[in-house]
This record gives sequence, C-alpha cells and structure tokens, in this order.
Amino acid sequence: MTQARPDEPAIVLEDVRKRYGDVQAVAGISLTVGRGEFFGVLGPNGAGKTTLIEIVEGLREADSGSVSVLGLPPWPRNMALLPRLGVQTQSSAFFTRLTAREHLSTVAALYGVGRQGVERTLSMVGLLGQADIRVEVLSGGQRQRLAIASALVHGPELIFLDEPTAALDPQARRDLWKVLRALKGEGRTIVYTTHHLDEAEALCDRVAIVVAGSVVALDSPGRLVGAAKAPTRLLVPADRITVERAERIEGADRVCVEGDSVVIETRAAGPVLAAVGEVAGLDGVRTRTATLEDVYLELTGSEQHA
Amino acid sequence: MSAYGALTTASYRASVRDRTTVFFTFAFPLIFLVVFGLIFRGQTVEQSGRGYIDYIAPGVLSWGVGNAAVFGVAFTLMQWRKDDLLRLIRMSPTPLTSVLASRYVVALVIGVVQAVLFIGVALLPVFGLRLSSTWPLALPVLVLGITAFLAIGMVIGSRANTPEAVAAVANCVMVPMAFLSGSFFPIDAMPSWLQSLSRVLPLRYLNDGVSAAVSGRAGLGSTGLACAGLAVFALVFGLLAMRTFRWSNDT
Repeated sequence: MTQARPDEPAIVLEDVRKRYGDVQAVAGISLTVGRGEFFGVLGPNGAGKTTLIEIVEGLREADSGSVSVLGLPPWPRNMALLPRLGVQTQSSAFFTRLTAREHLSTVAALYGVGRQGVERTLSMVGLLGQADIRVEVLSGGQRQRLAIASALVHGPELIFLDEPTAALDPQARRDLWKVLRALKGEGRTIVYTTHHLDEAEALCDRVAIVVAGSVVALDSPGRLVGAAKAPTRLLVPADRITVERAERIEGADRVCVEGDSVVIETRAAGPVLAAVGEVAGLDGVRTRTATLEDVYLELTGSEQHA
Repeated sequence: MSAYGALTTASYRASVRDRTTVFFTFAFPLIFLVVFGLIFRGQTVEQSGRGYIDYIAPGVLSWGVGNAAVFGVAFTLMQWRKDDLLRLIRMSPTPLTSVLASRYVVALVIGVVQAVLFIGVALLPVFGLRLSSTWPLALPVLVLGITAFLAIGMVIGSRANTPEAVAAVANCVMVPMAFLSGSFFPIDAMPSWLQSLSRVLPLRYLNDGVSAAVSGRAGLGSTGLACAGLAVFALVFGLLAMRTFRWSNDT
C-alpha cells in the first residue's frame, strides 16, 4: 500500500462535538495523530470514546468541528477513504456458517483484495491452523483474532482496534503485541482503545485519556507518569520495621500496613530507600513506581471504578 | 472475486449449510399442497367449473415463493445488522447495491427451484394438475413477485431487531394475505367485495399471474396486469426499504 503523503497527519480533529439529547458525548475534542503513530484512547465506559472513534471512522456525523482522516473527510461514507482504513468490528461480525478462511476471503473481496492477502493475514494472526474451522466453532480468542484479521486483510494505512486483547489468554496477548508492533514497524498508524493500561503503556507512543467527552490528558505514557508525580511505594517486610520507625524516615509521606508489608509512600525514593537500608536492610524490599494506571485512576476519579 | 460475487457465494454457502432451513423452505409449500390437495380432491369450484387443484397449486406456490423471499431477506438483514456484519460491509468500499443485488440473486434462485419442485409434485396423478402450454408466462410474474416480496422482506428486516420480531411481523403480513389473495382458498368462491379488496395485496397479482399461466387462461393482457401490479408493489416497497434501511441497530 503506497502512502500518498507521509508527512501529512493521519488524523486531525478540531473542536469536535457530538450531543445525544441531554448527553454531551463529545465535548469539543481537538487532537492530531501522526503517521505511523501508535495512539491509545483510554477512558471509563460511557466517557465518549466509542462515539469519538465512530466519528473518526465515519460511522457518525459530528455536530460541529472538523474531522480530517488521511487528509479526507470521513463523513458521509467516503468511498475513496474506506479502503485505506481497517476497522476491527465485534467478534460476532462473521458471515454465518463459513470457515475462518471463507469469511476472510469474503471480507477481502469486499475490498477487492485477492487470496494472497487472506493467507498472509491468517498467518499473521496465527489462525492458519484453524482456517478451515467454521466461525461458530472458533474459541473466544480465535474469534477475536479473526475479527482483527478482518481489519487487516486489505493492508490499510490507518487501523482502528477496539480492545483487541480483551478475550485473549496471556500468551495470545503477547503474540498479538508482536503483530501490532510489526504493523507499526511497517509504518501503519494504529488507533487503539483498551482497558489494559499496562498494555497501553507498553505499546502506545501517545495516549489520550477521555473523561466526560473531553481529553483530560494527552502525551506519551512515560511523560504522563512523570508529570503526575505520583508517589513511589516501598514495601518493607513487616517484621523488619515498625510503622512508627518508618514514619520517622525523612521523605516518607505516608506509611501504612498492607498484608505482610509496611508500605512507605514517598516522592524521594532514593534517600528513603537508603534510610530503609540502614534500618532494616534491603533484602526483600520491593519498590513500586507509579504506572499509567495510577495516572489514569487519578484523572478518571476512583468512583467510576467501584 | 467481485464483492457482489463474494457476497452471493457467502449467502449461498450459509443457505445450503443450514439443512433444516433448506428442507423446510422447499417442503413447506409441498405440505400445504398435500393438505389442500387431499381436502379438495376431485372437487370443482361451482362458480367457475374449474378443479380446486387449478386454484390451489398456483396459489400455494405463489405464497411459498413469496414467503421464502420475505423471510429469507428479513432474517438475513436483521441478523447481519445484529452481528455487526452490516457495519463491516459499511466500512468497506462495497456499495449497498452490491449487497442487495447478491441477496436478490439468491432469492431468485431459491424461488425458481421452489417453483420447479412444486410444479413437478403437483403434476403427479394424485394431485392431477394439468400444465398448460402458456406456463412460461409464469416466469416473468414469478421474478417480479419475488422482487416485490423481497422488498417487503427488506422493510421488515430493516425495522425488526430480533428473530422473534421478524417471524411475528412476517407471519402477520403473509398468513392473512395468503387467505385473502386466494392462495389457500379459491378466489372465485369468495364474496365479490373481498375479491375487490384483495386487489390491494401483492400476492393477489402473483396468484392471478401464475394461475393463469399454468391453467392456460393467460394472455398478454392478464400477464401484463399481474406484472404491472407486482412492479408497482416492488417499486413502492423498494423505495420504502431504501428509506428504512439501517447499517446498525444504534443509528
């Protein structure tokens, strides 16, 4: 697939809004996704992620604002744009009573792509062994991979994946990471929604965190974590230090007991760790640095995760 | 392969691999033929002097073909929308007309196979249908009839969101229409006001056209009237189907 203008951004949104009745699903979102970028969209259910993605895919019309995808408007149904997009649908979206290969061949034909693309994509998602099994009989993870294959079979430039690893076991999940990294390596742009924050941290160049229809954070996972200044947690075996002793360490912000550990929260991990080493020794002491998940929970509010 | 060819192949495979549905699509009209054939065996309709079988065989055939067209496309559209398959097609550069054309071809093939099988059985001495030389005139009527009922099925499949709703609506449309249009009961034996009323039903035109062709009463005029009536219904419901069509349940 040739890329017409590699310097041009993949997606440009300017003040995009969408309202359903009283609900402002998308409340003025502006963002740019560059070519070849792996872009994560995170947020609680009902935050407007799906509506936003569907506007970019051209499935919904924005009430206002401008949407440009690969330099083209996605709405109304844009026949020039569609072959350049790959969209993972629900893993129920299979032609009934066909085998995995027949289904994928049908999807390929909808895009005017031949057999070669089908075999290559089946092998890419690891379904060659199940190619002649009926779609109804595939396991949850296999269906998930077939749904992803349906988004890739025509070699799109911009790929939308919706919780692609949701139904996968840890091994299949790691295998899919490899596929996604390979796609990125080929210069394709990936827009990706997930609830697995560890995954977003491992894969995404940048993430947007969407809450109540607005982007509340937009940066690389590393910079988001750094900027949040979330405390580092030191876990010291409880039989080696008392809470009282730990509280006297300079730089300890908060101390509590969790299970068999005394947990020291600090923003000065180095000096505190050295102090702990003197008092209790460092054997068995574990450190937990802030992750994207901490940033996410901070920004989205804990009440939405009860 | 073209998108149209691929969709037709996919529909064909989905159809033939569902053996239960295949069996009953073709057996259903035959069961009615047997039932009515036995009830009215050897009797003639007083008002016209023609045998019951001459009315019932084309009538049941027309209903069976119409029924299969309505149910087939309505279930497919509802299911494809429910499974998100329409969204998958919507995101590909395949025009909606290719999707509908492939479904149309499948419906035509099913209808023609139904008709051949049904006439073949009705010709058996036990039922005693006599096939007149004007039978080819039934073909354009059948094609237009399938088109009209396919359009009705598209409207139902675009509105109904569950298999139960499709079955309920389609049965409510098709069963009363079968009786009122003379599929199960000779139209000539009905009160004249009911005969006039049945002119607003598409199945009446399909029945009349097929019946006239099979029994040798067909001329260009009667076949033309049946075709014109069905073409109007096909057009009206086709336009309605275009307006009610939805790519997804939540739009």
